[in-house]
Parts: sequence; structure tokens; C-alpha cells
Amino acid sequence: MGKANIYLLMLGLLFSVQLSAKDYKVSDFGAKADGITVNTCTIQKAIDYINENGGGRLVFEAGNYVTGSIYLKSNVTLQLNHGATILGSTNPFDYIKDKKIGWMSMIFAVNQENIGITGKGTINGRGFITANNMVNYIHRGIYTDPLKLDRPNETNRPQNVYFRECTNVTITDITLRDPASWNQTYDQCKNLYVDNIYVDSKSYWNNDGIDVVDCDGVVIKNSYFDAADDVLCFKSHSADHICQNVVVDNCVGRSSANGLKFGTVSRGGFRNFKVTNLTIFDTFRSAITFAAVDGGEIENIVVDGVRSINTGNVIFLRIGDRWSKGKKPYMKDITISNVYAEVPFGKPDAGYNYEGPVEDLPRNISPASIVGLPEYKIQNVKLKNIEIVYPGAGNPLYAKRGLTPAELDSIPEMRTAYPEFSQFKELPAWGIYVRHAEGISFENVTFTALKKDYRPSIVIDDVKGASFKGMLFNEPESKGKQQIFQQKSSNVVIQ
Amino acid sequence: MSKIKIVTIILLTVCTVNLSAKDYKASLFGVKSEGVTLNTKSIQKAIDFISENGGGKLVFYVGRYLTGTIQLKSNVTIELKEGAVWVATPSVYDYFGVNGTKALIVADGQQNIGIVGKGVIEGQGAAVLEQINTQIQKGYLRETAAQASPALIVMNNCSDIVIDEFNLMNACGNVQSYTGCKSLIINGVTVKSTSVKGTKGLLLAGCDGVKLSNIFFETSDTEISTTETSKNVSIMNCKNAAGKKLQTKN
Repeated sequence: MGKANIYLLMLGLLFSVQLSAKDYKVSDFGAKADGITVNTCTIQKAIDYINENGGGRLVFEAGNYVTGSIYLKSNVTLQLNHGATILGSTNPFDYIKDKKIGWMSMIFAVNQENIGITGKGTINGRGFITANNMVNYIHRGIYTDPLKLDRPNETNRPQNVYFRECTNVTITDITLRDPASWNQTYDQCKNLYVDNIYVDSKSYWNNDGIDVVDCDGVVIKNSYFDAADDVLCFKSHSADHICQNVVVDNCVGRSSANGLKFGTVSRGGFRNFKVTNLTIFDTFRSAITFAAVDGGEIENIVVDGVRSINTGNVIFLRIGDRWSKGKKPYMKDITISNVYAEVPFGKPDAGYNYEGPVEDLPRNISPASIVGLPEYKIQNVKLKNIEIVYPGAGNPLYAKRGLTPAELDSIPEMRTAYPEFSQFKELPAWGIYVRHAEGISFENVTFTALKKDYRPSIVIDDVKGASFKGMLFNEPESKGKQQIFQQKSSNVVIQ
Repeated sequence: MSKIKIVTIILLTVCTVNLSAKDYKASLFGVKSEGVTLNTKSIQKAIDFISENGGGKLVFYVGRYLTGTIQLKSNVTIELKEGAVWVATPSVYDYFGVNGTKALIVADGQQNIGIVGKGVIEGQGAAVLEQINTQIQKGYLRETAAQASPALIVMNNCSDIVIDEFNLMNACGNVQSYTGCKSLIINGVTVKSTSVKGTKGLLLAGCDGVKLSNIFFETSDTEISTTETSKNVSIMNCKNAAGKKLQTKN
């Protein structure tokens, strides 16, 4: 037998060992599925045992398993069978605030590889109760927290999952619900695979769908998210890291904030994203928000195939200068195509838990917007095959931003503000507003206003190079109305 | 009255307030008394909080308080009122120890600590042992049953300890073990621990200044076991179930 053959055989053996990883029942370690017993120490023991004995799956059979903070270890997968629920303890003191991560979570993993949570079972943080218990402890002086906005700091409430610096992470088929803070965070992980998960995350403030922070190599597909805060949320906490090489496909989201969001923390940046077949509905803010406000970059992003139904805003691209610390932000090479969107006149998330806050009034329905800064222009954005239906009905007696140079210049830059589509209050267009940009192309774009609006459909201001091809504007009682208005712009081609 | 006198009085008042350490009700920390909620982390939080905030008494009123291992900290006294029962969890992985001995209540290098009151510490020894044996059989627990069996109280290098009046029942390991402790007073305690074989009532090693008085022992093994390394040990009116007056045994 040649050396190569032996090598192959060994490889084969290695694989078979990995594949035949053992299943261990958590009940065999003494965990109780009675919905009462706090199993923290027992589950941890089981994870440690499997980790130390060649890896495998820790199987939760049908039943309710209460736990506080546990740490997942290398080569261990939590398998939640159909009918199995991991219930977060409602006692805040059952949770650890990890020293390295600085957050509380139910399921932690730090510096581990080949880990996962799989199966048709559920992780239920019971966060509403836990968070309110924490509020009580803070009022009693037992836990120290400033209660800013009358809620405990996000880091003092447990998330469901927080994995940091892990490699080969698999999250499939599970349901994640009711965290006390964000929901599931993957921070500086490599090779994250998320498939067919169901998320119901609106039990307390800041409940996100999924947070992917500074990760490299990410697939999120076939998943459903309903969240009080941002749904598919990509962040960059570290100026020395970047969130990159990400595929999102066939996901559906509902939010009282944003659907697909880059930021708000955006120190390193976001590169090489392909998002396809995205549906966002009943969402308070924007279906798509890309924010580079902390010195990070956003580059090479493709979003193809979006249905945005009953969302307060559709597209919001923003460069700001909030926590940049001298780093220069940029945003370039963004393509958004095949979008159908409907923006309502009323509140799109009315009736959901933790509805989004009504603010930045008075303003008529806000347009989509692409807003850089005078020295940091948003570059090379393509919008192709887009149809957005707006309610129109902008009334200048309620709120007015006219088209005179003085009025357009009066729109604040808001360099250091938290970026939201509504932050500028009234904007001078009903379809899209573009400011401080270079190389913006519109191809086959239809903007419909259901009622007459006092504003034109499009205002561009300080834009170098813009092309409009196949534009269609539908607005009642508006024959002959100039729908594209430019200020301080050059190389503008309207075909 | 001179200014100095006034200042002195104020100072004295402040000192008195400080000395009369505070009482804290367990429910302040979310501790539940229904007997099924595992209170380990809440009780620990309470002890840590009291220890960090000038010391005091953590008071348990009537009820059953399920818990795993608790670490006692300096200047904290646990008071178990009449009818209050600390129930040891049968779950074997909820225990840890000091000096290689697991226990429900551990203290390591702490001063001015105590457990007092007319309540009960229930070790659930048989149930814990059953779990230990199951886990050893399955191969998940790689300790001997003796190593895994939690005592009720284990203290190491502590000083100024008061153990007063309450009932210690059904330990899985030994009932109490004190190593290298100074100034230990145990008075009026009832020890009833026969549900598991080999349970000793009280182990002393390297202790200095121990007063044992009015203790009733009904144990499955030796009542009091002291080594030569312990100094100044006095035993007064301690009896076993047969009515035998107990003396220091080395």
C-alpha cells in the first residue's frame, strides 16, 4: 500500500469518526424536562463530557428544560428534537455576564469550533419576565444599572445565543423566541451556516432577529424572523475586523425597526454580500438600511429580489461620522435590483409588541434616501427594476421642504446622529432623495404615488454623475410635473 | 454641651448603626420558598451582596428553599427561622467543594460567618446518593461515590464562626467538616443523619478554639471526630441518640 493510500485511509477514518459522533441524551445526565428544574449545572456537565470524549450531539427529547447560562464547547451540537424546548430561567441571577464578551446570554460559546444548535425544537428565553425581574432588582438596589430609557442596559439582559470567535457554526431548523435583549449574536465567527430557523423576537426592547458581527463566511437562508428591533442585522463592532462574504437567501422578516440592516455599529465594515429573495413586511422603518456611521466601509453589496410590503421606508443608505475616531467611512458598489415595495400611509407595525416609536414629526411620508456627507460621498449605486408604491398626499401645510437652494440647504447633515430614514424630518421628494453621492444609476424604476404630493418624486443634491433610464412616475393630477429635480449636480443623464 | 461631646455622640451613633448589621429578607433577592425553584444563584447573589455591603443577616422565613452549593462570605449570617428548610437539590452536578470535599454550604478563608435559627438544613442524602450512583454507572461521573457525596457544611481556614440552634438532617456525605478554622462555636444544634451509611457528625482538623455545646447527634457513623492537630476544643453537654455523653475522640 502506497503512502498516499495510507493517507487516504487515515483521512477516511477521521471523517467516519467525525460522522459517527455519538448522541447523548441530556436526560441521561439527570436533566429534568419538567419546566421547573433549573438544569444549568447538569447541561453544562453533559456538554463538558461530550467535548472531552470525542464530540457528539447532546439530544433534548420532547419536554421543557429550564436553564441559566451554559457554554457550548467544541464538537458538541445541541440537538433539540421536535417538542423539546430550552426555557430560559426567569431569574436574572441564573445568567452570566461573560467577561470577554461583556454581555449576558443563555447559550455562550467562546473560541470553540464545530458547534451547532439543530433540530425542530425551541429556545425560549422568556425574556419579558426576566427583563422585568431585572428591573425590579435594579429598583431595589440589588443590581446596579442606570435604567437609561427606564430599561436595563442591553448588556444586562440575557440574549438567547452569543457565540464569539467560533469556527464552523451550524444553526438549523430551530425556533428561537423571546429573548430579554438581542436574540442571537455571532461575533467574529468563521463559517456560520443558518438554515430554516424561525425567530419570534418581540418580548422586550432591543429584541433583534439575528446579529452577525464581524463574521467571515456566512450563509443565512430559508428563515423567518419577526422582531421588535432589526431583523437581519449585520454589525461591525471592531475597527480591525469586517463582516464579509455573506449570502442571505430566501428569508422573510417583520420588524418594528429595519429589515436588512448594516450597522448601526459599523466600525470595520461590510464587504461582499449577496442577498437574494428577501421579503420584508409590516416593518416600521426601512426594508433595507446600510449605515456606515462609525468609520467603516461598505463595499460590493448585491441585493436582488425584494418584496417589501407595508414597510415605512424601503431603502436608506447613509454615511455618517458618529464614532469614526478619524477613520474614513466609505460606501461603494451597491446594486439593488428587482424590488417591489408598498409604503403605507398608516403605521405599518401597528398592533405588534414593542411597536416602533413615533418620532421626527411633523413630516409627510418619507422617501427612500441615499445620503452621504460632503466629504464622504456614496459611490456607484445601481437601482434596477424597482417599483415602489407610495401613498403620496404630502401636504405642505403639515410639513414643507421646498426646492429653493435655501430650503434644500436647510436639510441638516446630521453627521453624528443615529441614522434612521426619518432623521431629516421633512424631505423634499416623495420617491427618493439623494445627497452627496457619485455615480448613481436608475434603470427601469417606477415610482407610484396613490395621491397627489406637493413634492417631486426625486431630488438629487450634490450628485456627480447620475443616470436615469426607463423612469416611470405615476402620480394623480400631475401631468407635466417635473419629477426629477437637481441641485448642485453634474453629469446627469435622463433618458 | 461642648462641640467635642456632640461630635463624639454622633460618631458613637454612626458606629452603633454600623455594628448592628442589617437584616435582609431572602425574597429581596428573588429567593422562592415553594420548594421547586432552584435558588442557588439567588442565594449566592444575596450573600455576595450582603458581604460587599457591610455584612448582615440573610433571613429565611417558613418555606422550603431548594438549592445547590452556596458559598458563605465574610460578615454574613444565614438565619433559618422556625419552619424554614434549606433543601439540598438531588442534582449531583449542582455541588462543588473546598479542599476536595463537596458540600451544600462551603466557606473558604472567610471571617465572621454564621448559620443560626430554628430551621432545618435537609441534605436529601438518599436521593443525592441515588443520582450519584446512576451517573457513576453510566460513566458520566468519574469520581467515587465518597468523593461525589456532598456534606452539609464544609469550612476551610475560616474564623469567628457561629453555628447555632438549627437542625442538620440527612447529609449525603458527612454532616460538618471544619479544617484550619479559628474560634468556632457550635451550640444547640440537632444532627439527625442516618439515611446514608458512613455519615460522620462532625470532623475537626487543625482547628483552634472550638466550643461544642448542647448538640444532639444521631448519625450513621462517628458523631465527633477530631485530629490531634486541633487545639482548645471543649465539649459540653453533647449526646448521641443512645444518650451517651460525647467526649473528644482523636
